[in-house]
Amino acid sequence: MSSPAQWNFAALLVERLGQGSELLDAPSSERLVATELRAAIANFAATFAAAGLRPGDRVLIGCNLRPLSSVAYLGAMFGGLVAVPLNETTLAGSGEALARKTRARAVWTECGVRGDWAARGGLRELEGRPYDTGSNAPAPTDRSEDDLAALMATSGSTAMPRLVKVSHGNLIANTEAIIRSQRLGSDERAMLVLPVSYCFGASVLHTHLYHGGAVVFDSRFMFADKVLRAIAHYGCTSFAGVPTAYQILLRRSNIRTIPMPSLRRFLQAGGALSVAAVQQMRAIVPHAEFFVMYGQTEATARISCLPPQRLTDKAGSVGVPLDNITVRIVGADGEDVPTGESGELWVAGKSISAGYLDEPEETRRRFRGGWLATGDIASRDEEGYLWINGREGEFIKMCGIRVGFAEIETTVAAVHGVLECAAAAVPHAEAGEALTLYVVAAERADDVVAAVRRSLPPKWPCDSITLVAELPRNAHGKLVRSQLPQLARPALAGGDTRARASEDSRPADEIWRT
Amino acid sequence: MQDVLARVQRAFGSAFDVEPGSVTIDTVPGDIRAWDSMGHVTLASSLEQEFGVTFDVDELMEMENVREIVRILQAKLARLDKAVT
Repeated sequence: MSSPAQWNFAALLVERLGQGSELLDAPSSERLVATELRAAIANFAATFAAAGLRPGDRVLIGCNLRPLSSVAYLGAMFGGLVAVPLNETTLAGSGEALARKTRARAVWTECGVRGDWAARGGLRELEGRPYDTGSNAPAPTDRSEDDLAALMATSGSTAMPRLVKVSHGNLIANTEAIIRSQRLGSDERAMLVLPVSYCFGASVLHTHLYHGGAVVFDSRFMFADKVLRAIAHYGCTSFAGVPTAYQILLRRSNIRTIPMPSLRRFLQAGGALSVAAVQQMRAIVPHAEFFVMYGQTEATARISCLPPQRLTDKAGSVGVPLDNITVRIVGADGEDVPTGESGELWVAGKSISAGYLDEPEETRRRFRGGWLATGDIASRDEEGYLWINGREGEFIKMCGIRVGFAEIETTVAAVHGVLECAAAAVPHAEAGEALTLYVVAAERADDVVAAVRRSLPPKWPCDSITLVAELPRNAHGKLVRSQLPQLARPALAGGDTRARASEDSRPADEIWRT
Repeated sequence: MQDVLARVQRAFGSAFDVEPGSVTIDTVPGDIRAWDSMGHVTLASSLEQEFGVTFDVDELMEMENVREIVRILQAKLARLDKAVT
């Protein structure tokens, strides 16, 4: 990593913008070219300063999938403020509580804050475009390596997100390592359908601009074909998505017929995507490399990346750690386990956060002497490739043996005809616990249940297999395990005609008791 | 048309936990907070359940607002009627 005289991440990013750098809004074709983007970032810093904000003050940023909120986020950082990017839905629902928790002094939104919580909490409300400072644009505010750049909300399932303290040094270290791991050129254009309030979205914005590239925002992923056509139209080279995004592309888009000649790579993080889905993506768009990656908000964003040339022989692995990250696999006794054995994945490096905001107990539990205890159960092979086997607490104990849900879900997802699977535990008289599986099947699902049952080893007793249309996921595409039991009884939820209609017309919604 | 809209409203109610009556023929995705890419998939499933139909990909892409959804469903239901008679 370089040793900059200036640690302000946004200032470094602005310095590195290239001639082709721009932010573009695909639906409207509105764009901010490099000179305009530089000015807008500095103008936002000036606007925040004029509102009375001082370096170190926190400002909530309402994020959407248009360029302006990203500029406000970078502008806050440029002015030495601590940006708290939150998606607009979170802001509308939990803005008041998050303002209190962060002691934010201001809130910026593109189109105004709903309700009067900001005024009641004494927050300055800023809206829309920044002042135009003309030729008096301010210089960036000096920051040191450990100064906070952002508070990033975790994407856990708790109602109130934890806030991860991300420093300027964290951002520089992670951004530079990601650029190296993805071998980004200086002419890249990312298609971004994730908000920068999510660390994966932020990392795509950071890496592409920091390396002289551009970012195209598209809020229309619900109509996935429009995004695919925009990738072609705007010459995008990278597409970033969570597993659900790839499932939508494979099942609910015309990706097989829309050419995207400019695309060089798919980036995937935010949970495990089945090996079968990765292979399908590769087969449909063979000219684009597929990067399977792993990360956590607590590690700024990215922790590991599977080099695309190893996609086949290391299928299912999340790859090797980024080049400035050290890993350990730690057993229950706190000692490193032998190669190939499972333990908790610990990571260290300059991109690891100092901890959570105002949560000393949880910070002590996860951040230990420079190491981040990820809570993910993993193993490392002799070549150093990491394999995530499950998540702490996400286990089932059958016949006295603990098996991670992730391992079960990977096994089932490999069955022909299965698109996705989620596993849960139910009490079982003999085994202690038994499996109950929720399976999303490909269209012709007749034999899938039998095939899934055949794929399970005898030591995994299975109580039921339910075919469902979709798995419950949160806004970031993460599986919400707590909602799985509700899937089991569509016909009992009021017993109305809709449930019956679904059984008649959609065999995929039927319950299979086996 | 009225009947289709009422059933569309019911599907919105179960997909997004909104008051069915708050959904009108002029409702667009920006009006409903949860109507994003994930929400669109949920909505499609909800509409498919309500009407006992399945949407193909092209239809999903055309469902840009309630007016379009009603139009697509009317066309679909008309085709089904024809096939039956």
